[in-house]
This record gives sequence, structure tokens and C-alpha cells, in this order.
Amino acid sequence: MADLNEQEIRKLVEEAVQQLGSNVSGEAVNQVVREAAAKINVPVNTSAPQPQIQPSAVGQNRIIVTAFGKNRRGILAGLTGVLSETGCDILDLSQKLLQEFFTTMLLVDISESSLPFEEIKAKVTAKGEELDLKVIIQHEAIFNAMHRV
Amino acid sequence: MPIALEEILETIRMTEVEHFDIRTVTMGINLLDCRSDDLKRMKTNIYDKIMRTAAEHVATAQKVESDYGISIANKRISITPMAIVADGHYPEDFIELAKVLDRAGDELGIDYLGGFSALVQKGFTMGDRSLIKAIPEALASTKHICSSVNVASTKAGINMDAVKMMGETVKLTAEKTADRDAIGCAKLVVFANVPEDNPFIAGAFHGVSEPDVVINVGISGPGVILRAVKEAPNDLDFSQLGERIKNMAFKITRAGEFIGKKVAAMQSIPYGIVDISLAPTPLPGDSVADILKAMGLEDVGATGTTAALALLNDSVKRGGLMASSHVGGMSGAFIPVSEDEGMINAAQKGHISLEKLEAMTSVCSVGIDMAAIPGRTPASVISGLIADECAIGMTNNKTTAVRIIPVPGKEAGDIVDYGGLLGAAPIMPISQLNNSIFVDRGGRLPPPTKGINN
Repeated sequence: MADLNEQEIRKLVEEAVQQLGSNVSGEAVNQVVREAAAKINVPVNTSAPQPQIQPSAVGQNRIIVTAFGKNRRGILAGLTGVLSETGCDILDLSQKLLQEFFTTMLLVDISESSLPFEEIKAKVTAKGEELDLKVIIQHEAIFNAMHRV
Repeated sequence: MPIALEEILETIRMTEVEHFDIRTVTMGINLLDCRSDDLKRMKTNIYDKIMRTAAEHVATAQKVESDYGISIANKRISITPMAIVADGHYPEDFIELAKVLDRAGDELGIDYLGGFSALVQKGFTMGDRSLIKAIPEALASTKHICSSVNVASTKAGINMDAVKMMGETVKLTAEKTADRDAIGCAKLVVFANVPEDNPFIAGAFHGVSEPDVVINVGISGPGVILRAVKEAPNDLDFSQLGERIKNMAFKITRAGEFIGKKVAAMQSIPYGIVDISLAPTPLPGDSVADILKAMGLEDVGATGTTAALALLNDSVKRGGLMASSHVGGMSGAFIPVSEDEGMINAAQKGHISLEKLEAMTSVCSVGIDMAAIPGRTPASVISGLIADECAIGMTNNKTTAVRIIPVPGKEAGDIVDYGGLLGAAPIMPISQLNNSIFVDRGGRLPPPTKGINN
């Protein structure tokens, strides 16, 4: 659902109370809120919640890109740019900056990419070298084997 | 639960800093279907079967290395003990066969091929005798071939005729490869209670109860365990110290099993076992000796060293057994001298002696391994050492072995450098007292009553 400010929520509630009176049911609330939202121009999304990323169900198509190096501008843009060019989907990202030293990890789904793993690996590694980064690329499954019982 | 950044960094620290790798992915190949009384035909059969079966072995292992970012140091092959495969042939024929195996290994790009072997714990066949006679020349004239002879078991006792013969064979092998500091002896090991699915060299062979083809894996992770022990405070008690080792052993065993299963699946070959032995390398920090030192010893050889090794060995097993359903091979800590930087230093300083190593072999997985001794040492002294190790293995119902190198022209205090994984071996003093009447008695040294366990 879109973010609402306090004023918009108050308006929604007032509108709903006015219309419902004693006639309360789940269906009625849903309908009234939708109508109220339409009146005050707030988009309401009632579809199912977005699926969460589940680890390792398709481990073969997911790789972990880890990069280390001295921090500088454009590191993340460079790495994500080349991943995007190769048709990869970034599912998760974390990074740490320790003094000047930069570490990042990207969980990437390569199933939609037209390139095989080796070529993606070569492209990302080459980009890392341009940016003075050490880049290590591995299929996700090895981490699940080592760190999950 | 998604993988955390810390876990990824730990894995990368293991492989990039602490030298964790898969020591070997070994393909076991049955050669019993290659037998023939026509030598030429048998040579063709063996060559063809190995080339056909292992055609993709090296390439597959390299692909798995690239996919998962864990290096596989060696790609190896083990075969059915050659004494069984070529029984009925003469020693010269065995040398020819060793050369054929070597050529196949060379063309496939593998590092070592094990299985130029005989199992003689209870007695010899003609094939066994021919193979043992062929060992010195076979090892001198090949590059990849490794040889092992099992001379004792808890059930059968010790074949003392074989012990005598192997002392002489070690000497002859050293002399045949004297120009290369007796490197032939680095590829020859004498066993008690040999396992039939061991992926490690020089003792690897493909047992007769194994399937036609199988993939076995050996791991190498002393550096990882070393960190776990080094980070422990001095007042941490042994239960907790063991716990730390266990946790690390779990992770590296899981990685080993995972890699082995991948290499096997990609070639449509059954996966056999993971050998959870901690195999050291001569690289700094990748040392079993350093782990023992990190437990609180000034150096290996100090009193307490055997107890420290017992704790290490047991903790590794606990973690490894939890991590894998199929643990096999030797599965204990290796304590080779030349392949372990900490051991090399301790031997050079005189802190560790062959006698202390012998005591340590009662709690570790192999035995006197990659130790160099003066070249003038008589065969009977080597046979005596083999008999002692066999007695430890036989009595304690465990594997023991001797891989010893009498380096011609060298004396205690010298050092020989073999390079690569074989490392550098300081020449260690060994008792030169006469034992020839004992060794010459021959016959079978009876097994302990514990061998009768039904």
C-alpha cells in the first residue's frame, strides 16, 4: 500500500465511520475504504503481499558476488551496471565500510540472463579490476552447504 | 534463513587466507574387467578404460572449482590393486603396465594415479610378489604412479616376510631415484589396516568391494582449524576448545562433500565418501603442527603433544561425522613431516623425533609419513620401523603406515626439497641398532585377540 500521511488516514477513517454506522462487515469495510480512498485520491493495493526472497530454492541460478577494495566513487554503480547489462537481477545487497576499506555482497539471480555463468563471472571480474576491486563470484549453493544444517 | 555477509566473508577468508581447499577429488576405477593373459591386450584394455572413464574428470573438477570458488588442489585416479589385476604376469610386465598407467594419467592431466598396490597381510600370490619386485623400477620410470602395500591387519596379524621385503624395496626405490633425492619413496607407502576407499596419495587404491567407478574426496583445512584454536583464550578448557574445532570441521567437511557430490553428479558417477583427514600443506599457516602449538605447546615434540593430537583428531571426527553421512578413507589428522611447515621447523630444531612421531601415530590417522632418514640406514632398520607401526595399527585396530625416505648421501641435519605439496624434508636421525635377527625371523606375527570379535 502506498505510504499515507496522518491527514489522509484521518480522512479515510472519518469517511468510513460516516458511511458504515451499525452496518459493519468485512466486505462492507473493504468496499467503504476503497470508495473513501478513491474520493481522496489515494491508491489502495489490496492484492496479495509481495513474495519474500526464499533462500536456495533455485540455488543453481543464484550467485553471490563479493567485492573488496579501497572505497571510491562509482564502485556499486559499476558492479550493478554490469550486472544489469548482462540481464541479471539483484535480489539482495549488503555492504560494509571499515575505515577506507569497502566490502559488498550482492545476491544475484542469473536465470533471466542470456549469458552463461562463466561469461557473467568474467565480465563482473573485469569490471572489478577496472575499479581496483577484488571480486569473488560463487554459486550460492556452496554457502548453504557450509553454513546451514 | 538467507546467508549473512559475515558467513560469506568467513568462507572467503577460509579459501583466500587460510588455504582451505579440497585436497583431492579422486576417481576410483575398477580394472578387473581389463584382465588378459596377453600383456599387449591388457595394456590396451587398461589404457582405453581409464581414458574413457576419466575423460571429463579434470575438466569437471575445474568447472566445479570455478562455479563455487573453492580450489581443488589435485585431481587423482585410483585403480584396483594392480597385483590383483595383473596376477599371473612377470615383474617386467608390471613395469610396462605402470608406464601405461602413467601415460594415461599424463594425457588426462591428473596429478597422481594410485593403486600400484598389493594386499599381502596374510600371504603372497605370485602377482603380489611380481608387483613388489617391480615397485622400485616402476616408481623410478613414472611420474604419476603411486604404490602401496598392505602388510598387516588386526584380523590377519603382520606378514613379517612382507615387512622384510618392503624394507628392502624402500631402499631399492631410494637408490633407483637417488639422482632426485629418492623421490620414488615419496610415492611408496606400507600399510596396516589399509582402507579401500582412501582418496589420498600415496595409499589410494580402488578396493575390490567398490562399484565400477566412484568419486571420493579428501579435504585440506588445517589453516581454518588453526584460526579457531588461535582465537581461543588461554584459559578455555578442553571441552570448549574441542567444540571450536568441531564447528570448523563441520563446515569444511560440508564443503568437501558438496564439491565431491557435484563432481560425481556432473559425470554421472556415484559419489563415495569424504575423507575428513586434515591434510596439511607446506604453506605457512596450513599446518597441523601449528594447531598443536596453538593449543599451548612451545613446539611439537613437547610432552603433551600426543594428547593434543588426540583432541584434534577426535574433534575433527565429531564435526565431520555430523556433516556427512559417508565418511571414509583414513579420516584422522595427518602428520607428515615434509608437507607441514610446523613439522619441518620442529624437525630441524630437533624438537620432534621419529620416536615421538611414532607415539603420535597411535592417535592419528596415518603413521610415519614423509620423514627422511640418512641414506646409509640399512633395510632391516626400515623393516623394524614398519613392524613397529604395524604393531600399533594392528593392536589398536586402526590404520597406520610408513612412508619413509632414506635419502642417499644425506645425513641427519641435511634437508631435501621436493617442491610442491611434497615440501621439504629435514633428515631425521633414526636408531641404527642392529635388529637383523628379529627382522629375519619371518613368518606371520599373530594377530591380537581383539581381532576375534564375533
